[in-house]
Amino acid sequence: MGFLQIASAHKAYQTPEGALVRALDDISIDVRNNEFLTLLGPSGCGKTTLLKIIAGFEDLDGGDIILEGRSLKEVPAHRRPFNTVFQNYALFPHMTISQNIGYGLDVAGVKKPDRDRRVGEALEMVGLVGYGSRRPAQLSGGQQQRVALARSLILKPRVLLLDEPLSALDRKMREAMQIELKNLQDSVGITFIFVTHDQEEALAMSDRIAVISNGRLQQLGSPTEVYDAPDNEFVANFVGTSNLFTGRIIDVDTGQGLVTMETGNGRRLCAGSRAYGLGDEVKLILRPEHLRLVDGDTPDGPCLIEGSVKDVIFVGSVVHLHVDVGFGRTAIVYHHHDRTGFRNDIEHGAHVRLAYAPDSAHLIANGRG
Amino acid sequence: MRKFLPSFKLLSGLLNVYGLVFLTFLYMPLGLIVLYSFNANPINMAVWTGFTFDWYATIFGGAAVETTFDAAFTESPERIFEVVKNSFLVAFTAASIATIVGTATAIAIARYNFITKRFYQALLLLPMLIPDIVLGISLLIFFVGIGFELGLMTIIVGHVTFLSSYVFVVVSARLAGMDTTLEQASADLGAGPVTTFRRVTLPQIMPGVVGGFLLAFIISLDDVVITYFIAGVGSQTLPLFILAMMRRGIRPQITALAVLILLFSFVVATVGLLLRNRKP
Ligand SMILES: Nc1ncnc2c1ncn2[C@@H]1O[C@H](COP(=O)(O)OP(=O)(O)OP(=O)(O)O)[C@@H](O)[C@H]1O
Ligand SMILES: [Mg+2]
Repeated sequence: MGFLQIASAHKAYQTPEGALVRALDDISIDVRNNEFLTLLGPSGCGKTTLLKIIAGFEDLDGGDIILEGRSLKEVPAHRRPFNTVFQNYALFPHMTISQNIGYGLDVAGVKKPDRDRRVGEALEMVGLVGYGSRRPAQLSGGQQQRVALARSLILKPRVLLLDEPLSALDRKMREAMQIELKNLQDSVGITFIFVTHDQEEALAMSDRIAVISNGRLQQLGSPTEVYDAPDNEFVANFVGTSNLFTGRIIDVDTGQGLVTMETGNGRRLCAGSRAYGLGDEVKLILRPEHLRLVDGDTPDGPCLIEGSVKDVIFVGSVVHLHVDVGFGRTAIVYHHHDRTGFRNDIEHGAHVRLAYAPDSAHLIANGRG
Repeated sequence: MRKFLPSFKLLSGLLNVYGLVFLTFLYMPLGLIVLYSFNANPINMAVWTGFTFDWYATIFGGAAVETTFDAAFTESPERIFEVVKNSFLVAFTAASIATIVGTATAIAIARYNFITKRFYQALLLLPMLIPDIVLGISLLIFFVGIGFELGLMTIIVGHVTFLSSYVFVVVSARLAGMDTTLEQASADLGAGPVTTFRRVTLPQIMPGVVGGFLLAFIISLDDVVITYFIAGVGSQTLPLFILAMMRRGIRPQITALAVLILLFSFVVATVGLLLRNRKP
């Protein structure tokens, strides 16, 4: 039995024009105790809706939310052992920071000495000692975010729900808070359900990622699973960058676990796989960092792509190359930038040969997503 | 740009003249009434004969009315005190009830979804649009019809009906500007609906509630038309009283009374503005 089960959650909204928006379309997730689960998806895919349903601010149309075997359908928001860090923090403007943080304890009737001690500890935990008597409007965005965190964590919830809490922060601050949040989650031992539309953030922080699109669960897995073995084209494109080729398996080498795929216009590409057989329609995914520039001595073969460089984009640690690989296709290559290394002088129009290890190519069945 | 400068100057000059005329028409009468209230001339207010506090004194009972020229036109301090008391009693009670009713309705309409919502909304705004005279007559017919004896009670009930609309509008505006996630956050932190209302919603809309109350109070205090219809024999309010006095001619005592009412309204309005501008 799972810890927190989201069981075939359905939710539709009626737009003013009368159309039906399926915000959640049959989503099932078994949330594990103490895990850092991220809900990842583009804007409008239903992440906030799912969080609101778990918190109890919205009712389900179908399905159930089950905490340790007990349905939460009839449990109102204020009786659920969950706390939320809102997208806009939702700090009470008419209360001081201490009053904000102590609100949950006051409501629960915790006696004053105990309450004050715990508020003090919470302020310390988020590094805001001395800010207790200020008002939310007198704090920076990052500080407000910490107050929101402290206000929720002080109640020791079973699950902490976080709705894009870092999106309002600048990049440096965001990266610092990502690490802080992750460490915090490790130390407090509370399940975090974290919403973001930023795939890098999701990969960096999560134990598991639930990729959602159009109200449907696309994939649920660890960051490496989701990145290295996306279940479908949507996940492949949304999490990281992908070079995608569509074709059919024309050769299978069961001994080596190797297959060869041919695209509609005759391009042949290899992949390490035992899951597909001759004639299967597949999509082959190559990550930009798996394509290596090789010299002319490397023999031709199905694990090699040739093309000419269209664009060179220097981003610091790597160089992004847009390579025209024929038939109107552009492959994206991340070439490691190292001042003494091979081919640092790549220019527009240069002819390049791109090799990859067969096992770095990932195959998905064509037609799914 | 230079070419346009003269015409711009002309325009701004015209605007200034217009503003001056406007302000003169608005404030001259008010200035005059203040001036008249201190004029010692008991016969013709427009002729200045000297400065006096006598007219104020007659209101508070400090001057012997018999000595003044028009004792017949002057009301006794006891009588004035009684109608002022009536007015305040009505305004305070009606505004209080209207504040509760208006606020509760505003919250219901802003926070809950029900089918008849729009209908209720329209119904609540209507009393502000219905001509006072129609509202007054309908209330009178209604009270007489159900056998409600006219008196302070009918004035209070009558005032509540339309004052609620004003409070509703003011509080609704405040609610519309309030972040609803604050209420969700409160529930999220374990507070039930009552606690959430008391500790989050109410403090947030308080400036609107107080503003609504003060508005209702002032409107009730100087309402003439509706009150005229539903007031009983022994239940005169200040505006009705002044109106009755006026029938016998505009005497200096009236100007003094008017200045006092003006002063009081200013104080209430200032308190209201201060409360509204105070950041939550
Ligand atoms: N109260 C509502 N009424 C009607 N439609 C709604 C309502 N709330 C959400 N929706 C719709 O449901 C869908 C999912 O919304 P949701 O807020 O869950 O998206 P999200 O994934 O959180 O997006 P974002 O990343 O932009 O916050 C959207 O298409 C949205 O327009
Ligand atoms: Mg959202």
